[in-house]
Amino acid sequence: MTGNGWLQILVFSVAVLCLTKPMGLYLLRVYDGSLRSLAPVERVIYRLCGVDPQDDQHWTRYAAALLLFSGVSMLVTYAALRLQGSLPLNPFHRAAVSDRQAFETAASFTTNTNWQSYAGETVMSYLSQMMQLAFHNFASAAAGVAAAVALARGIARRSGGRIGNFWTDLIRGTLYVFLPLSLILALVFVQQGVIQNFGSYVTVHTLEGAKQVLAMGPVASQEAIKQLGTNGGGFFNANAAHPFENPTAGTNFLSMVAIFVIPAGLTYTFGRMVKNQRHGWALWAAMFTLFAGGVTTAYWAEARGNPIHAARGVDVAATATNPGGNMEGKEVRFGIANSALYATVTTDASCGAVNAMHDSFTPLGGLVPLVNIQLGELIFGGVGSGLYGIIVMAVLTVFIAGLMVGRTPEYLGKKIQSREVQMAMLYVLIFPAVILLFTAASVVLPQGLAGLSNAGPHGLSEILYAFTSVTGNNGSAFAGLTGTTYYYNTLLGVGTLFGRFAMMVPMLALAGFLSERKTSPESAGTFPVASPLFVVLLLGVILIVGALTFFPALALGPVVEHLLMGLGRVF
Amino acid sequence: MDVAYILITLAFFGLMLAYVRGCERLGREAGRDGERP
Repeated sequence: MTGNGWLQILVFSVAVLCLTKPMGLYLLRVYDGSLRSLAPVERVIYRLCGVDPQDDQHWTRYAAALLLFSGVSMLVTYAALRLQGSLPLNPFHRAAVSDRQAFETAASFTTNTNWQSYAGETVMSYLSQMMQLAFHNFASAAAGVAAAVALARGIARRSGGRIGNFWTDLIRGTLYVFLPLSLILALVFVQQGVIQNFGSYVTVHTLEGAKQVLAMGPVASQEAIKQLGTNGGGFFNANAAHPFENPTAGTNFLSMVAIFVIPAGLTYTFGRMVKNQRHGWALWAAMFTLFAGGVTTAYWAEARGNPIHAARGVDVAATATNPGGNMEGKEVRFGIANSALYATVTTDASCGAVNAMHDSFTPLGGLVPLVNIQLGELIFGGVGSGLYGIIVMAVLTVFIAGLMVGRTPEYLGKKIQSREVQMAMLYVLIFPAVILLFTAASVVLPQGLAGLSNAGPHGLSEILYAFTSVTGNNGSAFAGLTGTTYYYNTLLGVGTLFGRFAMMVPMLALAGFLSERKTSPESAGTFPVASPLFVVLLLGVILIVGALTFFPALALGPVVEHLLMGLGRVF
Repeated sequence: MDVAYILITLAFFGLMLAYVRGCERLGREAGRDGERP
């Protein structure tokens, strides 16, 4: 580890801290309806779509609208990918995407996951990239934030189960947040060297005399929303390790900030909505503590490298001319600190973009992205999903704290009783159930084992990572697993759907139930949710729920691999 | 397989809509069991 590496991590952290309040205030104005600069455009869209913006929907109608929008847009994307060969903007005559990959891709992009079992530059036409995949990058991100804001409304007011209007939230989020921010970021990316064109692929002769085809395309516009919307799907197969997607240290830094800025800002927005700003900062502090622990562990593990190298006389110490540590699968441009930081940020935030190959990390370095996702994608988390994930954990925290002292638990003045806890537990249990059941099936079925390229504990880690990633709607991969089979494409696609919607429904129900309760004034017996004690308890609940649920699987995967590496065995 | 994948998609979202109804019913039953807003 180097001082330079730590300095970069510190600068990143300060940047996120400084942007939290301004972004949070902006989001507040967007979702409380006070920002009206694009009102004429809004009105036209509402009229065209037949939306009544004043209609305050009951949570069941809000959830049904979200499901209807997602289901229909997923089917449209499936059809468009299957008909790609007959559609325009296809200068290289890409054939139809195969049925299994079209299903998985449509499910994956609809759910903000962006797990990709294809190489974008050789499978997708420009139309598919821009009209289908980019559409979902915007829409799934806006739907995620809408759901989080709906939960915040449920807590903030007493409205008999009414939590806002899904269509208004979706349209306002897209118009005021994702479109303008993506435009600005895309222009900065273009200035930094990210390509943006509809040109033909370019053939060049390398210094060795070989021929190489360089893929082109409208990359910067995709890259911006990919990061801001915590989508993560790359235009190119190499994702953010590709120099046309992420050419400089500047784009790398901006990408990471873009991933965190909206989820961090939402904690501030939430604090303002529930009129308890200190609670918003308490959630931010819990998220940051988990982020700091993750990046420290990943950086330490990767900088330490593989002890087998050191035992065989390889110089693994960092010097001015040698990065040291484990550089396998990492870009020389970014080095160890920025690879560890990027891996932590992208898996904290359900983004899934990568600038290094997680499969090549050391066992403990690879454990960090895996655990980050398994904690529930709430360390800042996906746009919207991070906030509602940590709010569900906060509800469980006050419930447990209430049980310990024998009082009816209250969260921000709302009583937490059996139905709220039932919804919170549904949310918490569905996630590991899908991951562990699908992983267990895949390690015993021949169809599951057929996709493995590594034996032993690393193979288990690859399968576990795949199902963790899709269910957590992350989308990054331990790329050693071959997922282009009917078995994996179908199961991973289904996993993304359960990971998104089977968790959103109880969360929206929780919002509706809380909105039916009156807000009690704070009393001497109220558990303070803005104190350091609350942050510690919240961290404990997150770690116990996440770590204990997955510990046996982790022990058989990365932990065993780490111990065997110490004995000289690698996989 | 196109029909199978379309049916899987429709079945999933149908299941989710039923899930919404189930959660709503759970909430109502909890209310009848003595929980008061």
